[in-house]
Amino acid sequence: MIGNDIVDLALARKESNWKRNGFLDKIFTTKEQLLISNAENPEVMVWNLWSRKEAAYKIYNRKTQIRGYFPLQLECFDLNIIDGIFFGKVVIKDLIYFTKTEITTQFVHTIAVENVQDFDTIKTLENRKNIQKNNGIPSYLEKDNSFLIPISISHHGRFEQIVSL
Amino acid sequence: MNREETIEKLKGIVKPYIQNQEAFDNLTESTDFIKDLQINSANLVDVILDIEEEFDIVIDNESMERMIDVKSAMEIIETKLSKK
Repeated sequence: MIGNDIVDLALARKESNWKRNGFLDKIFTTKEQLLISNAENPEVMVWNLWSRKEAAYKIYNRKTQIRGYFPLQLECFDLNIIDGIFFGKVVIKDLIYFTKTEITTQFVHTIAVENVQDFDTIKTLENRKNIQKNNGIPSYLEKDNSFLIPISISHHGRFEQIVSL
Repeated sequence: MNREETIEKLKGIVKPYIQNQEAFDNLTESTDFIKDLQINSANLVDVILDIEEEFDIVIDNESMERMIDVKSAMEIIETKLSKK
């Protein structure tokens, strides 16, 4: 299982005013808001945490088929930086997902997986060929054996990322 | 406020965030904010904050969880308004 989420920082700046009254309270827990207020760049931390939640939600949604808007139930924790890559975990109920986030000046991209070793086998797809959606959840159809491989697609502004295990 | 007035007000609230005009023009109770109107999930919080301001209600976290289509939004707004 895999989930990803990309944020085009230039577009996010245009689309969202994260300083709006009530905005942070509706989507970030107290602990997460502390990470934001203590961050060197609070704006990037907002999208950093948001993309982790979205990526984790995509796995949760695929597994449970539960759809909803519950960003506060998905909490980011154990944030770590190893060689410039941001690692962490997201918890929802009794489930924990592992996240890996790439941050540049242009975008924030998070991949979430169920097992930490899955990070070693992530593949990136170049286009949407042979992709089908079931209940809004995308899979890649392998031509030779008709297997459906779970994939995750994220598109925002100038960026699109399609990933699978 | 009757149902038509509520839905018209709701349409005015979501309009700045929609990315699918056709789905917006054909909006019904079953219209999904994300799948149909293609509202960015980070903007859904703006829709919720705008609803709170416009209708002068508070949308608690439990209600917010269900806020993914017009039907649920209408139900939540009407329930909160009736308790005012």
